[in-house]
Amino acid sequence: MDDRVIIRFNHVTKQYDNDLPVLDDVSFEMERGKFYTLLGPSGCGKTTILRLIAGFIEPTKGDIYFHGKRMNNVPANKRQVNTVFQDYALFPHLNVFENVAFGLRIKKIGKEDIERKVKEALRFVNLEGYEQRAIHEMSGGQRQRVAIARAIVNEPDVLLLDEPLSALDLKLRTEMQYELRELQRRLGITFIFVTHDQEEALAMSDEIFVLNKGKIEQRGTPKDIYDEPVNRFVADFIGESNIITGTMIDDFVVEFANQQFACIDRGFAKNERVDIVIRPEDLELTTVERGKLRVRVDSVLFRGVHYELCCYDTYGNEWLVHSTKKADIGEEIGLHFEPEAIHVMKRSGGE
Amino acid sequence: MKFSRLYLTFIFFVLYMPIFYLIYYSFNSGGTMHHFESFTLDWYKEVFADTRLLIIVLHTMIIALLSSSLATIIGVFGAITIYYAKHRWKQTLLTLNNVLIVSPDVIIGASFLILFTIAGIQLGFTSVLLSHIAFSIPIVVLMVLPKLQEMSPTLIDAARDLGANEWNILTKVILPYITPGIFAGFFMALTYSLDDFAVTFFVTGNGFSTLSVEIYSRARQGISLSVNALSTLLFLFTLVLVVVYYVITQRASAKGGQK
Amino acid sequence: MRRYAYAIPYWLWIGLFVVAPIILIIYYSFFDIEGHFSLVNYETFFTPVYLRMTVNSFWYAFLITACSLLIAYPTAYLLTKTKHKQLWLLLIILPTWVNLLLKAYAFLGLFGTYGAVNALFEAIGIGTKQLLFTDFSFVFVSVYIFIPFMILPIFNALEKLNPSLIDAARDLGASEWTTFRRVIFPLTLDGVKAGCQAVFIPSLSLFMLTRLIAGNRVITLGTAVEQHFLVTQNWGMGATIAVFLMIAMASIMALTGNKKWGVRQ
Repeated sequence: MDDRVIIRFNHVTKQYDNDLPVLDDVSFEMERGKFYTLLGPSGCGKTTILRLIAGFIEPTKGDIYFHGKRMNNVPANKRQVNTVFQDYALFPHLNVFENVAFGLRIKKIGKEDIERKVKEALRFVNLEGYEQRAIHEMSGGQRQRVAIARAIVNEPDVLLLDEPLSALDLKLRTEMQYELRELQRRLGITFIFVTHDQEEALAMSDEIFVLNKGKIEQRGTPKDIYDEPVNRFVADFIGESNIITGTMIDDFVVEFANQQFACIDRGFAKNERVDIVIRPEDLELTTVERGKLRVRVDSVLFRGVHYELCCYDTYGNEWLVHSTKKADIGEEIGLHFEPEAIHVMKRSGGE
Repeated sequence: MKFSRLYLTFIFFVLYMPIFYLIYYSFNSGGTMHHFESFTLDWYKEVFADTRLLIIVLHTMIIALLSSSLATIIGVFGAITIYYAKHRWKQTLLTLNNVLIVSPDVIIGASFLILFTIAGIQLGFTSVLLSHIAFSIPIVVLMVLPKLQEMSPTLIDAARDLGANEWNILTKVILPYITPGIFAGFFMALTYSLDDFAVTFFVTGNGFSTLSVEIYSRARQGISLSVNALSTLLFLFTLVLVVVYYVITQRASAKGGQK
Repeated sequence: MRRYAYAIPYWLWIGLFVVAPIILIIYYSFFDIEGHFSLVNYETFFTPVYLRMTVNSFWYAFLITACSLLIAYPTAYLLTKTKHKQLWLLLIILPTWVNLLLKAYAFLGLFGTYGAVNALFEAIGIGTKQLLFTDFSFVFVSVYIFIPFMILPIFNALEKLNPSLIDAARDLGASEWTTFRRVIFPLTLDGVKAGCQAVFIPSLSLFMLTRLIAGNRVITLGTAVEQHFLVTQNWGMGATIAVFLMIAMASIMALTGNKKWGVRQ
């Protein structure tokens, strides 16, 4: 077995009573030293995976391996895994130092070692000098750092982060994204990050798992997932997209909006119905004559870096366009795009 | 606005009048509660010279402190049991817990009297102590349980994640967190015990008495101003207790709470 | 297994002091004064004497609860409007920490033939009245004792009320009275229920007050239980009355909803 693999899920199912499974026959491997993100809407099973790895719950079916050893029934307090909780779960009756020292004290580590390690962990998260502060005196961002310090001071093989940035405001959040990524590089351990925010996932991860209804829809690098979503759900969840149905006429030829276009996809059956994705930033504003598509502008929003135009073609398809150029409401315009901008996907079952 | 102030003043007047009436006449040398002759401290001297009464005061204190301490210990673990109980059990447990709170005192007293008689426990110190523990436990549970429920469950997950076993979780996370609730429960139990008359009246034997029972039997014999003096002293003691309780809870909430 | 060991005393308590007493009371109600198994106690209970006593007890309990509510609601409402309301609230609670019997004893002096109240009546020309040992004094002293327990839950309910709801009602054109009737009162109903429970149930067992203040003129079920257990030693009859008190209590709990059973804080 590949010794870079640190966590392996083998046909894991988690089910409560007779409800639908929250995690449905999931298998995957995770490697040492990488930054993984579990991405999906609430209730997709991402937090369940985290809690299974942490040991707070046990799988109904299937096996979980750490370093190739089966860990199903090992309780949380005996695992080399630590968690940063969504609400931080800092102990309100202990100060910063004692919060960070909690795990070390349980392990009955010597006093000087504790002192040294806690100091070091706090330095790692830029909180030197805050040792004696009470938790309620710390700001949201600082609490976040204490929670991280409390987890990494135990030198875990894997750090689990359960939507740790969701309670922070936008500016702080972006800052912490950089810091977390940097922290992971310096520590060199595996991070497993749970979020429902696709931008966060794209910005930070080595690899993203997109989950939906207890199943993994797609796994891959951020670029893979953004550029080549495997189905409508992933395309819709990752970034804003124009998704319409079309027909694959032949290899490299696809039809939608009653026109045929050149594309770079192949390997579909002739005349197979498919889903087409075109990202709004891949659509270019131009004159009606030069455009591949002819649309009417319905609304315009100024978004700072760009304008967001909502347009309709004559067949009632909605086209979202991100453009630095402005257009007037009601104006007829043309849209231009390259063959590479068209992503053709197999139609997914539902909807 | 004027009417509302008048109304509140009247309510407070009625609430405190009997108490100050008692205190006022405790200094009356006349011996009755309607004609103030002259100032005297004789009734207080009588209280302090009455060894029987002082022993009863001592008994009352011992019963109150012992019963509320033991009730607090059992009640805290009871609250934790309810907290961890599965949903359906939780409701049943809570209902059973609250039976003694909603029962009329005479029923508690009568049923405990039967219980002690059947169990062969002699009526006196033991039976009174056991009764006081018994009716204080649900109060402690009700004071502690909200604290437990307000505690985020991730706190326990976090402790387990950091390597804590069940014992560590209890001593290092749960108990420190619910300390304010434990104090509140203890003081509640203390006041319930000091205040109780009906239950004690049923289960106390001939040789043993608490203050409430003693005051009752003295009051039945008519007015005696040493009871007034005693009530003044008790009122002062209550005030001290209130202040102590207030200071402790303020300090606890300043230390523990973060909202 | 060790995890459940700490719960053992609590389970013991439930078994010995909650479940067992209920069973014992029911069990004893089936024995007559000689200790023979019989239903005679239940027959006795359904004689006019006891039925009238039952009706009386509930009538007094109802009177006490109603009077407490009528006085307590405005008090609680006005308290929420004061500055330093926590301090005023503490002053409302403080008298409950004075032993109930001492308060009853104080009324022996206040209501006595030469007491302060009669002195006042004399001064304003009403003349001396017999106050002690009347129904009035019993109800008055009971209300006096219970009123803080009625004020407290109502006060808490009023405090929890979102003030913008009142603004919203006014904004929508409701008069002050309509706002109270349609918004404030319904939203504080839980507090009222809790208060009524905290007053009604204990007022069924005020045997010491009936003895001290009402001079045995008022005999309630509580007094009868005490009488049978401690004076006539007819435990069976006492237990039978207790069974009916328990049934009454359970129905009241069911009636007023058991969400927040009179938690005093």
